[in-house]
Amino acid sequence: MDYLAQYLPILIFLFIAAGLSAAFVFLPMGVSRLTGAHNPDTEKLSEYECGFPAFEEPRSQFDVRFYLVAILFIIFDLEAAFLFPWAVSLDLTGWPGWITMMIFLGELIVGFAYAWKVGALEWE
Amino acid sequence: MDYSISLRLIAPEILLSVSGLVLLLVAAWGGQKTGRLVSILSAAALFGAGLMLFPTLHLGVVGPDTFAFGDQFRADAFAAFAKALIYLAGIGCLMVAPTYFDRLKAMKPEYPVLLLFAVLGMSIMVSASDFLTLYIGLELNSLAAYVLAAFLRNDTRSAESGLKYFVLGALASGILLYGMSLLYGFTGTTSFEGVRVALSGEMSTGMLFGLIFVLAGLAFKISAVPFHMWTPDVYEGAPTPVTTFFATAPKVAAIALTARVALDAFGTQVDAWRQVVIFAALASILVGALGAIGQQNLKRLLAYSSINNVGFILIGLAAGTVGGVGAMLVYLAIYVAMSLGSFVALLMLRDENGDALATFADISGLSAKRPALAWCLLALMFSLAGIPPLLGFFGKFVVFQAGVEADMVALAAFGIAASVIGAFYYIKFVKVMFFDDASERSVADSTTAHWVLLVVTTAIVSPLGYLVTPSLGDLTDKAASALFLLP
Amino acid sequence: MIQTIAFYLFAVLVIASAVMVIMARNPVHSVLWLILAFFNAAGLMVLVGAEFIAMLLVVVYVGAVAVLFLFVVMMLDIDFAELRAGFVRNFPLGIAIALVLLAELVLGIGAYQAGNLDLGTPAGDAAPMLGESNIENLGALLYGKYLFLFETAGIILLVAMVGAIVLTHRPPKTQRGHQHIGKQNARRPEDATVMKQPEVGKGVEL
Repeated sequence: MDYLAQYLPILIFLFIAAGLSAAFVFLPMGVSRLTGAHNPDTEKLSEYECGFPAFEEPRSQFDVRFYLVAILFIIFDLEAAFLFPWAVSLDLTGWPGWITMMIFLGELIVGFAYAWKVGALEWE
Repeated sequence: MDYSISLRLIAPEILLSVSGLVLLLVAAWGGQKTGRLVSILSAAALFGAGLMLFPTLHLGVVGPDTFAFGDQFRADAFAAFAKALIYLAGIGCLMVAPTYFDRLKAMKPEYPVLLLFAVLGMSIMVSASDFLTLYIGLELNSLAAYVLAAFLRNDTRSAESGLKYFVLGALASGILLYGMSLLYGFTGTTSFEGVRVALSGEMSTGMLFGLIFVLAGLAFKISAVPFHMWTPDVYEGAPTPVTTFFATAPKVAAIALTARVALDAFGTQVDAWRQVVIFAALASILVGALGAIGQQNLKRLLAYSSINNVGFILIGLAAGTVGGVGAMLVYLAIYVAMSLGSFVALLMLRDENGDALATFADISGLSAKRPALAWCLLALMFSLAGIPPLLGFFGKFVVFQAGVEADMVALAAFGIAASVIGAFYYIKFVKVMFFDDASERSVADSTTAHWVLLVVTTAIVSPLGYLVTPSLGDLTDKAASALFLLP
Repeated sequence: MIQTIAFYLFAVLVIASAVMVIMARNPVHSVLWLILAFFNAAGLMVLVGAEFIAMLLVVVYVGAVAVLFLFVVMMLDIDFAELRAGFVRNFPLGIAIALVLLAELVLGIGAYQAGNLDLGTPAGDAAPMLGESNIENLGALLYGKYLFLFETAGIILLVAMVGAIVLTHRPPKTQRGHQHIGKQNARRPEDATVMKQPEVGKGVEL
């Protein structure tokens, strides 16, 4: 599997990145735990004067329009994803392949025109 | 690969998709008010696509000449017959929708467009001769159907039915895909032809699992017991024109698809799936008949009735012979007429305010108020019950005959016994309409489109229908032979 | 050797993050764990040679589907504490289903090792190796042999788009009060006011 060898640098990079980020997170924690004084009690761990426990979940509901935008994004994302294999295999598929993709794009352009015209892309 | 031949074979599908795309643009630019115009144009597109089927259907074209795109798609007589039924049902559902949605101020031109795409999906389903084509067609149909079920998005029940249909439909698709991947893993191909060859001889456990999973996924789509639980809820919650659509066209598509999968892809292993189909048939007949008894809501009642009818249709498939498939197709054609007619009648049952008369209590004494409507409903109900001389009896008769000819006397006998149970609630329907005291609810006038559909379907199920049965039998025989090309 | 290590690394991580998806207390954290699971699944895909699928997993699933999940989680007003209570109540049922699936797996593997299952070999016409890379072969099949299905898939995407718009798009009900400066300036006193001289004892008729 020589093609996997091409991914070796990425793997090494991953290991180094994971190792470094772990070190950056856990090293200060460990060092401060070992060197500093550490004796918590209830009062120390509770909210300080100016804070108070949360009354409710901090999440607030999103507008449904975000969802519509996300769906439209996924669809065009997928469409774009189909372009990659088409582009690299065009010399194998030739004219039929080219026409196929143009029809596919045409279908999606009709959808795009529809979405635009009915105002799905407008915020207000 | 010669694309021109393939493109000629998929001409109806091309017409449907191009008109769907154009009508979508009309919908976008014309806005809400084009709802009726787009409906009419969609119906015209369906009609045009139906005309293209005529030569195939009439000549009974089968065999390699009908294979498109390297045998991924077959435009043979069997597919043409199913498509003709689907297009006709689609036209019927388009005719009744604008009135219903206009009343709720919810008519949008997207409705006919989505319906057109759903029909396109079914059209691909019934022509599928590769598991990939099967899946793509099924998903196109299902996706449009989920949206249609939730089309009245401000009505909680419509939204709920859309969600239920979507979640359970996605589960069924998952089961189907799992079965397909097992079959691909153990046979090394996705084409029906290849699977058929690979399955001949001794069948391994993995293949058996794949076969069962595929059948289970398809059983969901045809709402055969034990995968029927979504049907009453979805039928009740969805807007009635959509329910009309669900009860007719997708049923035809899914049953035709099941028949093709069972007899083509699994044609060398008839014994492996026959017991599954027999079980589903018996259970559907029984559950459909018993479940309907306690129902007060008319749409739920008809949902159980459709489950019940699927059981009878599956008897024809279980026979596994040319005669059985022919009988199945005859029954399907009659079922579409009966189902379309009874749902159109439900759509016509409205009071002056436009509220639906949804329960038995609402329609009691209907015959005094609207005698014509009541008599049409009587014919449709008696036909669904299979009472001679109505055409529903002929449908049941041919499937039982096919069952007996295939040495399944016990199955046929059980079916006959269960249809007696089923007759109970159809007769109750008639009794409430004709002999009970009239309810206070008035019944409003209906549009001409409704009356035309109701009268046409009633005429088909009436004894007049026997005039067309010889030519119908001729067509179904030609169509059925498409599935039995190979030994 | 490295391949094996990488496989176990990705496999363990994908299972661990999948467990975290259902164990995380905060639904937003669940989605983040899911993204990690997708990344590791992409790593597994690279290992089996399906490079394009791996990239697709990152681009589509991490880039779009996970974002959609986040929106849905943020959009729905669900009491997750209550849901979790249901989880505890249904736990025996969940375990039962898990056991059934496990039994299936064991049966399958057992049968496979006993030689009762033989996997099929791809049909000869199924995959002629035309190009050099995975993605090139994929393209050759998708836009050659399966172009009909590809076009239909395009229609499915279109239906998904139309469906999403039909079900969620609400056209603005009323035009909100946009200020038209020109209209304001063009308005003259005589358009807006009327001079009346009512007689004593009678009201004004407008």
